[in-house]
Amino acid sequence: MGAMTEMADMTTILLHQWQLLSTTSWPLLLTLAAFGIAWWTYNRSGRASLLHPLMVATPLIYFSMQTIDLDFAAYYSGNGILNWLLGPATVALAVPLSHQLRQLAGMFKPLTVALLLGGLFATLSALLLVKLFGLSDVVLLSLAAKSVTSPIALSIVEQIGGLRSLLAVATMVTGLAGIVMAKSIFHLTQLEDERWQGLILGVTAHAIGTAKAFESSPRCGAFATLGMGINGILTAIVLPASIGLFII
Amino acid sequence: MKKLAVGLLILVLFQWLGEWGVKALELNIPGQLLGMILLLIVLSVNKSLLPWLETTSSQLIRFIALLFVPITTGAFFLGPEIFEQLPQILAVLIISTLLAQWFMALVINKLRGSNGRDD
Repeated sequence: MGAMTEMADMTTILLHQWQLLSTTSWPLLLTLAAFGIAWWTYNRSGRASLLHPLMVATPLIYFSMQTIDLDFAAYYSGNGILNWLLGPATVALAVPLSHQLRQLAGMFKPLTVALLLGGLFATLSALLLVKLFGLSDVVLLSLAAKSVTSPIALSIVEQIGGLRSLLAVATMVTGLAGIVMAKSIFHLTQLEDERWQGLILGVTAHAIGTAKAFESSPRCGAFATLGMGINGILTAIVLPASIGLFII
Repeated sequence: MKKLAVGLLILVLFQWLGEWGVKALELNIPGQLLGMILLLIVLSVNKSLLPWLETTSSQLIRFIALLFVPITTGAFFLGPEIFEQLPQILAVLIISTLLAQWFMALVINKLRGSNGRDD
């Protein structure tokens, strides 16, 4: 790899980032206004799962776009700065994760086993169900990363090729379904230890599950952070290399 | 404010490092993720960057849903081919999440059973 190619690589990366920032314009205000309303509604409702800010903000924006006749491409590129921030937000996950890695010390083995099996099962069961229901390959590629935290999931779907918007919704639905069902699962399996409950919430319901876990206790949240972070890293390493097996 | 800006700068630098590393080493993982792993390694060896990163990272993570508003809005424009598959897609998501939670709970109960109560 010559110095020239490396320079060229770096230029491509920087140019792409500049493009995202420089296209930012007024549709950003639409997003901020809708999100403001959604955030207020969500907090006002006592953080009801079905009133998650994304569930409220996105239809508001869609109907505004219909009213003012704004197409999606223009809306999306106008929000360049938010898309740009997704990169730093992914890297930022390292900070809470670095705080929680200490927790691993005493329970390294059971934690790793539960994490590996759980993460694998969450993805594998989804892919097999996609096949079972006879859904298209593009759906398969878009759903593969659905149990991973959104910023990592989005970069995985870019890597393997799928519909980013479908993945974004799938991730949201997975997170919301996860926190709604987890309570009954913990009850049925008599799993009362909040550390393990946190881990399950983090692995299967990513950031939405982690937020829920923090509502139970900081300890529960810490394990959810750990589960979400490590599952994200592992899936990002394993999935791009193995997804080909499911496309025939 | 200064901390927020410095923190963002550090995150962006690690992101670039990750994206550049993935290209240069021809790795098959997302560049941002390599950036995150590199930062995680640096933070576990040396904590001196941590005070600069706390504010930025906690604010970014707190409002992360905002960053997903544009891309999630795109779902309304996915087109009939995807909309026709929507009921099955929802079923896949809900069933696989349910199975994964149940399976993890069973594995954990099994692990704790064989190791004795872990506290």
